[in-house]
Amino acid sequence: MRSGILRSTPFRVALILGTTFLVGLILAGIVAFELVEHELDRRMDRSITDTFNVISQSYGDTDQADLVDSVQSHTRATLNHDQVYALADADGQIVSGNVGAMPAGTGWIDLPASALVISAPDDPEYRIFVGSVGGNRLLVGSSFNETHEIARLTLTTLGWSSIAVLLIVVAIGGLMARRAQRRIDGIAQTMARVGHGELDARITLGARADDIDMLAHQVNAALERLGALVEGMRQVSVNIAHDLKTPLNRLAITVESALGAESKGQPVAPHLAQAELEIQQINSTFDALLRIAQIEAGARRARFVPVQLATVLDKIADVYADVADERGQQLVVTHPEPLPEIEGDRELLTQLCANVVENSIRHCPPGTRIDVVGRLTGDRVTVTFSDDGPGIPPEEHDKIFQRLYRLDKSRTTPGNGLGLSLVKAVADLHGARIELAQRDPGLSLAMSFPVRARPLTDR
Amino acid sequence: MRILLVEDDKRTADYVRNGLMEAGHIVDALDDGRDALTHASGMNFDVIIADRLLPGLDGLSLVKALRASGTSTPVLFLTAVNGVDDRVEGLESGGDDYLVKPFAFSELLARVHALGRRPPAQVEKTTLQIADLVLDLVRRSCRRGTTQIDLLPREFALLEYLMRNEERVVTRTMLLERVWDFHFDPQTSVVETHISRLRAKIDKPFEQQLLHTIRHTGYSMHA
Repeated sequence: MRSGILRSTPFRVALILGTTFLVGLILAGIVAFELVEHELDRRMDRSITDTFNVISQSYGDTDQADLVDSVQSHTRATLNHDQVYALADADGQIVSGNVGAMPAGTGWIDLPASALVISAPDDPEYRIFVGSVGGNRLLVGSSFNETHEIARLTLTTLGWSSIAVLLIVVAIGGLMARRAQRRIDGIAQTMARVGHGELDARITLGARADDIDMLAHQVNAALERLGALVEGMRQVSVNIAHDLKTPLNRLAITVESALGAESKGQPVAPHLAQAELEIQQINSTFDALLRIAQIEAGARRARFVPVQLATVLDKIADVYADVADERGQQLVVTHPEPLPEIEGDRELLTQLCANVVENSIRHCPPGTRIDVVGRLTGDRVTVTFSDDGPGIPPEEHDKIFQRLYRLDKSRTTPGNGLGLSLVKAVADLHGARIELAQRDPGLSLAMSFPVRARPLTDR
Repeated sequence: MRILLVEDDKRTADYVRNGLMEAGHIVDALDDGRDALTHASGMNFDVIIADRLLPGLDGLSLVKALRASGTSTPVLFLTAVNGVDDRVEGLESGGDDYLVKPFAFSELLARVHALGRRPPAQVEKTTLQIADLVLDLVRRSCRRGTTQIDLLPREFALLEYLMRNEERVVTRTMLLERVWDFHFDPQTSVVETHISRLRAKIDKPFEQQLLHTIRHTGYSMHA
C-alpha cells in the first residue's frame, strides 16, 4: 500500500491543490514584481529630475561658479558612485562631477558605468539625464544598484515563501492523505477478510459520520444481510443433511430387506412400494427446504403484485371446508368484502394460508372449530387463524416456526416439520407481523400485512 | 404420437423413451439443445419433452427459439428445480407444462397425453357430455339423464376439468394445479375429499360409474 501513495486519491487531490496554489502564487508574484519595478523606476526618474532642477536653480545670471559648487557639493555627498554628476562647459570640457566622460546628446539615457569612465565594481548600469543649463551641459544620474537590490529582495522573498507554501501543502496534504488512506485501507482489509470467508468482519466507523463513514455504514449493513443469508443457507444445508440422513437410512434398510426377501424367494413388491413412499417423503422434504430457502432469499419480491387477500381466503374456504368437514371439523372463513389490497405473491400467500389451516386440521380432533378472519386493523390487513383444539404449550411458541421443529406429540402424525417455517418465511417476505396467542382452549395466530401504498411506490 | 425427447442424462432418457414406446408412441431422443432445435423445426412432432438444463442450448432458449420460428408444438419441461420462479419462467418462455424431477412415469405420461391430444384450434364447446352426464357450461348446470344435479361452484370446476379430459388420466397434481391453482403438495387429502364429494353427486346414485380412480396415478372419466 505504501508504494501506492501516488495512486492514493486524497494525496493526489492534495498535490493538485498545492500545485494550483503554487502556480497562482508565482503568477501573482510576477505581477507584483513588475509593479514594484515600475514604481521604483518612476521614483528614480523623479529623484533624478528633482536633483537636476535643484542644481540648475543654483545657476543664477550666468554665474557658472555657483553651478560648479552645487555639482561639487552633490558629488561630495555621494559614495561609491551611487549618484553621478557632471558639468561640461560650452567647449564640452568637464568642469565638475564624478564621471570621466560625458555622453553625447540630451534627455534620458541608460548606459553602463564603462561608458561614463567610472571605475565601479561589476560595471553597474546607470540611468542619467542630460540637459543644458545656460550653455553648459549638466548630467545627473543614478545607478540601478538600489532598484536591482530591491527587486532581488522581492524575488528572494517570493521564492522562499513559495517553497514554504509548497512544503506546508505537501506535508498537510500527505498527512490528510495518509489518514484518508488508512481508513480506505481499513475498508479494503475488511473486504479482503470477508472475501476469505470471515463474514462477521465489519469496518470500524469513524466518529465524524462523513462520506467515508456513510459508505462504511452501507457496506456494513450489506455485510450484515449477506451474513444472515449465508447463515440461513448454511442452516438449511445442515438441516437438509440431518433430516435427509434419517429417511435415507430408512430407505437403505428397506432396499436391503427387499434384497433379503428376494434371496429367500419371498415377494419383493411390498418392500419396493415402501421404498417408493420413502423416496417421495425425502423428495418432499427436500423440496420444502429448497423452497423456504428461495423464499428467504427474497428474490420473489420482484414479482410482487397487488393482491386481494379476500380472494385468497375465499379459495381456502372453498378448498378446505370439505376437507375439515370430512374430519368432523368446521372451517369458518369471514372477511368484509373486499379488503384493502396488499403487495404480494398470490401463490405464496395461498400456500401460507393453506399451511396454517392444514396444520389446524391435522393436529386438532374432530369437533374442532377453525376460524379464519380477515379484517382491516389500522393500516394493516390482519388475518387471524384460530382453533379451539389442543393448542401449543406457551414455552413452545417460539420454536414452532423453526425448521424441522415438531412438537413431541406430533411426531407420530405425518408431516415434515416445515409447514410453519414456510409460513414464517412467506410472512417475512411480505413484511407481515406474526402474533401467536394462547386461547382457552386452543391457539390463535394473527398475521398482519401492510396495506399497499397507493399509488404503487417505485422501489 | 410422435414425441421428441431432449434429455442429456442417459439413464433418465432411456427410462422415459422406453416407457413412452411401451405406451405406443414413436420417440426421437436427443441429448443436445442445438440439435433439438434443428430437428424440431424440420419435423412434425406432437409433443416435445425438454430438460431445462441442456448442453448446446438450454431448454428455455430452445423453446423461445422454436416459438420465434413459428413452431407451436406443445412443450413439457422437465426440471430438477422446483422453484416457483423457474416454473413461471418456463411457462412464460412458451412452455406448456412443467414437471419436476424426480417424477412418477405415470405422471409424465398423463401430462404428455393431455398436451398431445389438445386440438390445435378448439371450437369453444358450450356443453360437455360423457354417456348420459351432461354439463352445460353456459347455464352452469349439470344433469344425468333427466335427473338434475346441483353442483357447488368448486364441484362444477372440478367436473369441467375432468370432462374436458375425457378418457385421459388426470393426476392429483394436475388437478391441484389446474383446478385450484395450488402449486404445492397439500398435507391433507384435498383432492381425495373433493373427488369423493363429486362422486357422491354424479356417480353414486346411478348405475354406470363414470369417474374412475386409476391406482397410484389419478383419475379418469369415461363411459
